[in-house]
Amino acid sequence: MKKKKATPWLYSFPAMLLIGIIVVFPILYTGYISTTNMNLYHWSDFEFIGLENYKRALLKVDSGFLSALYTTLLWTIVNMVLQVVIAYLIAVGLNTEGLKLKRVYKTLLMFPWAMPAYVSILLWRVGMYNTEFGLFNKILVALGLSKMDFLAQNGSAFWACLILNLWMALPFMIMMIDGALQSIDKSMYESAVLEGAGFIQKNIYITIPSLRKIVAPAVIMTTFTTFKQFDIVYLLTKQKGSLSGADLQTIITYAHQNAFVSNNYGLSSAVSIVIFGIIIVFSLVTNRPEGRERA
Amino acid sequence: MKKLSVGLAGVMLAVSLMGCGAESTGTESTAVESQGTEETKAAETAGEAADENEEAVVITAWHDNDEAMMNALADVVNEGLKDDNITLKFEKKSDVTGQIQLYGTDAENGPDMYLFAHDSLGSFAEMGILEPVGNLISDDKQADLLPMTIEAATYKDEQYLMPVYYETLLFMYNKDLWDGEIPSTTEDLYTYMEEHTDTEAGTYAVVNQHSGAYNVAPFINGFGGYILDKDGNPGLDTSGTIAAVSYNKKFAALQADGDYNTVTTLFNEGKAAAIIGGPWLISGIKEAGIDLGIKSLSDFTLPDGNTLKPYSGVQCLGVLKYAAESKKDAIVKVLEVLAQPEVGIVLAKEYNCAPANVKAYDDPEVAANEMILAMKKTAEVAEPMPNIPQMNVMWGPTESFLAAVNKSGEDVETAAAKYQEEALTAIADMQ
Repeated sequence: MKKKKATPWLYSFPAMLLIGIIVVFPILYTGYISTTNMNLYHWSDFEFIGLENYKRALLKVDSGFLSALYTTLLWTIVNMVLQVVIAYLIAVGLNTEGLKLKRVYKTLLMFPWAMPAYVSILLWRVGMYNTEFGLFNKILVALGLSKMDFLAQNGSAFWACLILNLWMALPFMIMMIDGALQSIDKSMYESAVLEGAGFIQKNIYITIPSLRKIVAPAVIMTTFTTFKQFDIVYLLTKQKGSLSGADLQTIITYAHQNAFVSNNYGLSSAVSIVIFGIIIVFSLVTNRPEGRERA
Repeated sequence: MKKLSVGLAGVMLAVSLMGCGAESTGTESTAVESQGTEETKAAETAGEAADENEEAVVITAWHDNDEAMMNALADVVNEGLKDDNITLKFEKKSDVTGQIQLYGTDAENGPDMYLFAHDSLGSFAEMGILEPVGNLISDDKQADLLPMTIEAATYKDEQYLMPVYYETLLFMYNKDLWDGEIPSTTEDLYTYMEEHTDTEAGTYAVVNQHSGAYNVAPFINGFGGYILDKDGNPGLDTSGTIAAVSYNKKFAALQADGDYNTVTTLFNEGKAAAIIGGPWLISGIKEAGIDLGIKSLSDFTLPDGNTLKPYSGVQCLGVLKYAAESKKDAIVKVLEVLAQPEVGIVLAKEYNCAPANVKAYDDPEVAANEMILAMKKTAEVAEPMPNIPQMNVMWGPTESFLAAVNKSGEDVETAAAKYQEEALTAIADMQ
């Protein structure tokens, strides 16, 4: 009996050890550092200072943080709604009966996802949004309009970041929805047609309900990565030496600006742990079981 | 244990931050990423020799400069050390200061030395990871180094770094595009810019990184303002700084978006007649086949009667403490060769670097180099970048201030107050 109980643990031990080393240990160690005064002036002679850094970290939860939290929530909601709707429409389009060169379209759609994010972001910054060489400004000038610095103001910078995020993230969502669409029993559509259902009815009563369970994990995962987005906002608007002028802040860029440039590892670790806590709460809220499952 | 903790903390924080910032589409971490390295031929040869002879010592130095330039520097040093069986090998790293912070106590994986501008000195000195160069090489061996470079390499009365060469910003113009004489006042320069700039057509008279702190410092210093004083107090809301930023704003409106890539491309493609830049632009300018003219920024007079006063950046070699303990003799010999004029002569002739060693200027070719002469002249009024630790956190608020004014159109005084506050918070957060 004991052996039976131990066997699953034995099998999963290597994986658990790996997760422990690369996921759990860094979190615990960051927690440890957050209770010390490790900074530039106490680089090798740091001491335990209790929860002092947490007091300072929580003081940073000021109006700037709340504004960043609002921007982050808006960013997440708008992104997710657009991502799911656009990805759904494209995936349905790709599954249209008789569509030629489907594989070519699907391969091309994967390109943005396959490209390293860093490269994509810098390419967009110069190739699309730049006032002198960017495609959008070339179009504006060709139309006889004035040039526009898309990244200089918060509003336009938000949309510029959002468009780039959609470009980068849509392939994943399209792939997930496309895969889910393949799994729907075609006979259901045939029956629906016999019953007189049109395109909209088929989507509302067959496709969308069938997709929900399969696409939900992808949506939850993408919601997290969108919520904790850093690189797009940072590299487009806040890159050291190339600030665009917009003061767009998500909670991660806000934390980075307020804690991580100071070389105060104790304080930075405390801010990290606070953000970690916020993300855990966020995950508990978004990932709670549905009513039927709870029952 | 604490050294291990320091290293681990760095890695853990980087992992945590990158974890927070990771995007589903695959973000690359650069914080602790080991970069590809290239060795000089001399270093390879010496490395082979080292295999054969146990006494051979290889000194590794990290940098983020032009690799060909660093190889040339290594070749000169290695030539001077060939009888000592010592080899200096440069390895290119991105974000050298970040890497030194992470590996500065890691004798196994860190470098023996690093080459970087002097402004990061205070941070490294406070961290206790640097061995003062003054402990390794006597003053008489450094007697020929320019006092300004020694001053830049000194922190809290201790000389930590070995100056190699220095840089200042210059007014660089395309002789084929510039119409007439170069003005001697900034007002005349502005008039010229107004007459010769067509922003819609994308052609400019002068471009500058108008929202970069280093590139606006000539105005700020010239107006009597400052980014950071010697006691570590930020000066973004001082009257001199506000006057300078207000004055710079009208120039910025005629200088494209002011990003490094944009302004260098505009100049190299012949869409801008002049650029405010430094010797690091030379290779691109040469490739573009531009007939380059140079003028010192100190030749331009501001409305208040002062000249433009850029920062000077002194590129120095720093020695990590653990390396000074384990390879002291070899490092002393490397430093002694670096203090000789030959290093500066080669860098000056081939890469237009202004040598730190004053004797290098006796070389006729160096003495006739237009760019080096302009930098030498500028250095007479230039202010060395502050090297106290607080400077590390001042670049961010200063550039945010400039971008807010020049790009987002914020009121100068309001933005000055806002970013002064941010700077004070950033400095307080260091403790």
